[in-house]
Amino acid sequence: MIRILPTIFIPLWLLSSCSTKIVSNNYYQQNKTRVDDIESRYEKLNAARPFAIAFTDKKLNILSIEMISDTLTRIYEFNANEKRLSDSLAKYNYDAAGIDILIKKMQQTKVTWINSVDYYVNDQPQQLIYLSIKPVTIRYLFSPPKYIALGYFRTPQSFDEKGRLLDSRRTKRIRKIKGQEFYRITDRICYTITEKYR
Amino acid sequence: MRIQYKLTSLFFLSFVLCLKAKAADHLQPVSSGREQALAYLERINQTKESAHWPNVKSKLFYDNLKLNLEDKQSFYPGRSTNFCSYGALSYLVMEKDALGYVKFMNELYESGEANFNNNHFKPSKQVMKAAGTLRFKGVLDIRHAEQVWFLVLADKFKGYLNFFNKRFHEGDENTFWASANLSKFNRMVRKLCGVKVKAVGSDLIKPWVKDTYCYLQKRMDSNIVSLYINNRVIHKKNHDKIKFSIPTHYIILRQISKVDNMITIRYWDYGGETLMQISPRTFRKTIFGIITIDK
Repeated sequence: MIRILPTIFIPLWLLSSCSTKIVSNNYYQQNKTRVDDIESRYEKLNAARPFAIAFTDKKLNILSIEMISDTLTRIYEFNANEKRLSDSLAKYNYDAAGIDILIKKMQQTKVTWINSVDYYVNDQPQQLIYLSIKPVTIRYLFSPPKYIALGYFRTPQSFDEKGRLLDSRRTKRIRKIKGQEFYRITDRICYTITEKYR
Repeated sequence: MRIQYKLTSLFFLSFVLCLKAKAADHLQPVSSGREQALAYLERINQTKESAHWPNVKSKLFYDNLKLNLEDKQSFYPGRSTNFCSYGALSYLVMEKDALGYVKFMNELYESGEANFNNNHFKPSKQVMKAAGTLRFKGVLDIRHAEQVWFLVLADKFKGYLNFFNKRFHEGDENTFWASANLSKFNRMVRKLCGVKVKAVGSDLIKPWVKDTYCYLQKRMDSNIVSLYINNRVIHKKNHDKIKFSIPTHYIILRQISKVDNMITIRYWDYGGETLMQISPRTFRKTIFGIITIDK
């Protein structure tokens, strides 16, 4: 019995030690037009009335929407095709039609989460739009899921020689968003691979 | 002889009663109005920098204290940090002793050490250096008083979750250094607010309560209720179905109601209130600790 234990555990250990492989390493370039379109639509809708959307199931049918006001954040979960969703959006003065188009585009492009993140430079508020994509992956047993997270800044950012996002031009301190290092795509857009979509 | 005996016992009785009254005074929550605290803040020289806190800007520090007084719900523990327990604690402290908070923070800023409700705080040098430097945590970036407050609390109070990481290093606001287990949270509330705390539940096992909804509703009337929850159930972070069921977050429950077998909760965390509808099953899965605090 003891002899066969390694034959059981070694393959299991090997499988668990393999991390998830994202099939395409060039996801942003391949889907640039669609992802940029989602970002710009969200930017306009969010400026009118702030909100965030997450898809909570693997098939991207169930969504959790956060409707954010100064005094209260309302979180509701809906099926993407449910009428209650557009009714609720209309009730709280959101552009229901615009958000409906955004949701459909998110489903097509497998964007699992979109929101606006505030940060400060020289004590002045700035915003970036953060979205996560569920790419096609090869998942090994016990390996965590992988998502591609994109950060869209409004102003050009600084990066080091390895392409890592820096705090500012003057410092060499690496800026981490949600505990993750981000890498350059353009001077305004950066990405990371993460185990959490938000 | 008898009269002398009676007088002695009367004196002894009054002495005991006096001691008891003093002890009761000591245990009573110190309640002070926000107006007094704002008036106190107005009298302070708010332009002085402190050598103890090299990265804290006096303007951001005192503006932050003013904001905390004007809006007790404004405390924001920061994005991706483990400060949520201190956020919930701040809410309770502002309910009980706003003046004490401001006095404590001012003394801490000026002298580098201070007392709050008979608890002495003398933060480590690493913490003093880190305050004012936390970045990319949302509005906490510019809230220097809250950075001081959260770091100082995490530096002072320790539980078993902090056992392997007791000293602050850069970035530890996101690690086990800052985390708080249920008994540590209860201890902090008891010590800083001077109130009775009753808790059911634990860090691993959910509370043994027959009907969680009814239990909470009963307690909401005359108490402040804080919940120790698994935030990953209600704010999913990945699409995996098998997940570790552990509590990760503290909230202050503000309202609870039930319609058509859906529970609506309104709670405070991260500088504002959230309203959410969840099924009773998810609700039960989420809660690990119910902390009842005397109003």
